[in-house]
Amino acid sequence: MNLSFFDQFMSPCFMGIPLTLLSMLLPTLLIPAPNNRWVSNRLSAIQLWFLNTTTKQLMSPLNKKAHKWALILTSLMMMLLAINLLGLLPYTFTPTTQLSMNMALAFPLWLATLLTGLRNQPSISLGHLLPEGTPTLLIPALILIETTSLLIRPLALGVRLTANLTAGHLLIQLISTATMALLPIMPVVSALTATILFLLTILEIAVAMIQAYVFVLLLSLYLQENI
Amino acid sequence: LSAPLLPSAPAALRSLPPPVAAGVLHTTRQLHTTQQCLAPLPPLPEKGGEVRYGLIPEEFFQFLYPKTGVTGPYMLGTGLLLYLLSKEIYVVNHETVAAVCILSVIIYGVKKYGSAVAAFADKLNEEKVATALAVKNEAIKSLETAIEEEKKEQWRVEGCSYLFDAKRNNVAMLLETNYRERLLTVYNEVKKRLDYQVAMQNLKRQKEQDHMIQWVEKSVVQSITPQQQKESIAKCILDLKALSKSAQAAV
Repeated sequence: MNLSFFDQFMSPCFMGIPLTLLSMLLPTLLIPAPNNRWVSNRLSAIQLWFLNTTTKQLMSPLNKKAHKWALILTSLMMMLLAINLLGLLPYTFTPTTQLSMNMALAFPLWLATLLTGLRNQPSISLGHLLPEGTPTLLIPALILIETTSLLIRPLALGVRLTANLTAGHLLIQLISTATMALLPIMPVVSALTATILFLLTILEIAVAMIQAYVFVLLLSLYLQENI
Repeated sequence: LSAPLLPSAPAALRSLPPPVAAGVLHTTRQLHTTQQCLAPLPPLPEKGGEVRYGLIPEEFFQFLYPKTGVTGPYMLGTGLLLYLLSKEIYVVNHETVAAVCILSVIIYGVKKYGSAVAAFADKLNEEKVATALAVKNEAIKSLETAIEEEKKEQWRVEGCSYLFDAKRNNVAMLLETNYRERLLTVYNEVKKRLDYQVAMQNLKRQKEQDHMIQWVEKSVVQSITPQQQKESIAKCILDLKALSKSAQAAV
């Protein structure tokens, strides 16, 4: 079938049955649940070690109250990791390339941190709008700027993830199209383009993992300010 | 339900037949609180199933072996692939190139770091088991040390009688020494007193003697009359003269 460049970003639909929910849920099923054996297999051991290390690192700058968020942040990170990495395989649909999904993840979580801060410690939360040591004349302008930056956070979170993944996938497709088109004409340039594609693939793997981590890290940072 | 009926209700209920048949064991137990089956379970396999080329299970090759031999599955795979490609059921497009790239990266990663990751996972499990074993061995070692120390204490108790004998001898010797010392002290004291008495007697006799000599001398001196004194002096002079004569002669 002839694919256009945007077929990979269309919500998957098979014979009229929308598969969007499956595409969002199935990647997490690939992460095995810990069984009740004391010494488990290699995959469970590595996964447990990885989860412990990342959760400890993520939660260490947060205070005791914020540790209630450990479960949701770690599971969010695992889901984003799985979805992003699986999207690098050919003919797969990556749900995180859709702005709707990323905004649906970013907006409620950011709003939760904001409301927690405003509810429990309103003056400290509002105090974050003015950095320390600003000259008196700049205070009004700075408050406006900080409020804008606060309100733009969910947008930034969602769009960052979407843009990174979409751009990466699109680049992979474009360069592979270029490779294919150059193959009968100038094979050497095609080989060069293939090299670029290899490097880009490695970059995309790194980006997939980093973007998931950055999403969760920024949320934990917003939580740190507010809880 | 009225009150008099309530105490008899459980007994009445127990006499009824059970609500489910005997074979339906799994639905009558509470969720996730007890074991599924009381019989001992077979152990789980330690490694996963054998896989060729990372994708196709070994059982597939064994399944086709009786009919098509060793090359059977490969012929099947090649034929299938060529059929899909030639009939354009699978179209070669840009995704194919991307697929080649990502699959080569994945295979390279697995081949290069696979054994290292597996060794790391094994090390994690080994450390877990080793920690528990270390606890067990520590406990065993401490108990063995305790047993040896107990045996040593028992040996010490056996040797206690010798210790007590020696101590008893020691004490007896000390007592004896003390007794002898005290005996000596008594002897010395008695001697001192007796010496005192003797000295007193001697002193008394000496004093009596002296006194008597003095009295005798006093009375003699008193009894010397002047006449006698003159006579004795004249006699002394005559003696002296005689002696001086003989002395002169001697010189």
